[in-house]
Amino acid sequence: MAQVAGIGLRSPHLAEIARDLPATGFLEIHAENYLGASPARQAIERLREAYAFSVHAVGLSLGSTGGLDEDHLARVTTLVKRLDPAYVSDHLSWSVHGGRYYNDLLPLPYTEEALDVVVRNVGRLQEALGRQVSIENPSCYLGFAHSTLTEPEFLAEVVRRSGCGLLLDLNNIVVTAHNLRLDPLAWLSGLPAEAITEYHLAGHAVNDCDGQPMLIDDHGSRVGAEAWALFDAAVRRYGVRPTLIEWDTDIPALPVLLEEAGKADRAIGSPSPHAARAA
Amino acid sequence: MPLALPDLQAAFAAHVAGGDRADLAAVIVGDSIPAEARLRVYRHHVSHSLSAALAATFSTVHALVGEGFFRGLAQGFVAEALPMQPVLAEYGAGFPAFVAAYEPARALPYLADIARLDWALNVAFHSPEGRRLAMADLAVIEPDRLPSLSIALPLGAALIGSHYPINRIWSASQPGASAETVDLEGGRADLLVLRRADDAAFIVLDGGEAAFVAALAGGESLEGAAEHAASAEPSFDLSTAFARLLSLEAFAALRQF
Repeated sequence: MAQVAGIGLRSPHLAEIARDLPATGFLEIHAENYLGASPARQAIERLREAYAFSVHAVGLSLGSTGGLDEDHLARVTTLVKRLDPAYVSDHLSWSVHGGRYYNDLLPLPYTEEALDVVVRNVGRLQEALGRQVSIENPSCYLGFAHSTLTEPEFLAEVVRRSGCGLLLDLNNIVVTAHNLRLDPLAWLSGLPAEAITEYHLAGHAVNDCDGQPMLIDDHGSRVGAEAWALFDAAVRRYGVRPTLIEWDTDIPALPVLLEEAGKADRAIGSPSPHAARAA
Repeated sequence: MPLALPDLQAAFAAHVAGGDRADLAAVIVGDSIPAEARLRVYRHHVSHSLSAALAATFSTVHALVGEGFFRGLAQGFVAEALPMQPVLAEYGAGFPAFVAAYEPARALPYLADIARLDWALNVAFHSPEGRRLAMADLAVIEPDRLPSLSIALPLGAALIGSHYPINRIWSASQPGASAETVDLEGGRADLLVLRRADDAAFIVLDGGEAAFVAALAGGESLEGAAEHAASAEPSFDLSTAFARLLSLEAFAALRQF
């Protein structure tokens, strides 16, 4: 069957991919790494002829009460218009406050107040780009006591009010559910299926946090068994979508990354009966 | 009492930057892992990921001092100067000055110059290549106009001068370099950092060439820059230096052509 799983394009693999053009569903880039006129950007512009692209932003800070940084938005818009990618996305989180960038996907309370902020910012982003963007569920290490919505309820409401898509990161669901003592399958149920545009898969680390295990979304290993099981469940429930293998730290040799993408393609071809029951 | 979102984000930002905020912990679900420990995950990630970004940009500094020392250095800088925007390749303009003032690095007097070189290579890498001045461009200019010509450096180019042989220190610190002892008394280095087709690189200039390039970059005409160079280095020969720099594609194409 056709390859629907793609890989994150990371700089150590760029020359090899440009030379060998390995078969893969699509290439994902982080927008913030290609805003300058570097040789790396010239290389991905050439690769655009051979591959479908997903432009994944990490710094738009869609949850910032201060609104989007218009300078940064303009640069991302220019990149998106140059590449005309199949997908554009960022996260349900914030990373900018008071003109400082914190380089993390910081958590939001899931309240009406936050909903207004996110819907306004997503609307501004979609208006600037002239297209739909997808919002990814983040990995959470804490929850706020005054949240009035669950994370999936909040995401569904952002979709309803802004018309954005959903990027479902199965590993982030595993991480968040473990850290916040939630049921990952319950988290997964009840999303608006037609809004889901993409799946993400990645590995995570387990750290000790005051004597308790805390899952950390480090994108530094193969996809874990729980994320594969949840992926099966998502495909059963919502259908096949372009699926990305993310690997950003301790980056392996390219064949290892392509092998993980191959595993995702095989899983799509035959979701396990166990996962079907679980869903 | 829940914090309004702008106040919550202000408190959260202050907390991850190192200030403890009791009002923040009070709005976080603690259960089996206390709120403070959960907040530490974010604080730790902000500091470590920004340190890692600096290690990528200042890779030669990192190679010279090692991970442990670099982490202390980088975390000191991060605590003082968070990024102003989300492009990590553009974070760290102030790092060389921070290195220069960093007391524990005092025994490595060349380290700040290496940081300036790393930064210049990073800036050049992310700059457009742009067309370069070629001999043929000059052939069409009337000879009597040449002395008054202004010639610019390519976008992203930088002249880095040091009292230490930073070109040799840099080369010996690259991955895969063979072990080499660099004599710190080996004399000053003047390097011109340039964007190349597939990367960024530096060329080593002699004293006359460095004065010449610096004067051109400062807006002097060809003739004026040659005078600066000759006063810095009496043996400076304009035609030799100019031909060498042209062949190295060290100048931007003329704007009026």
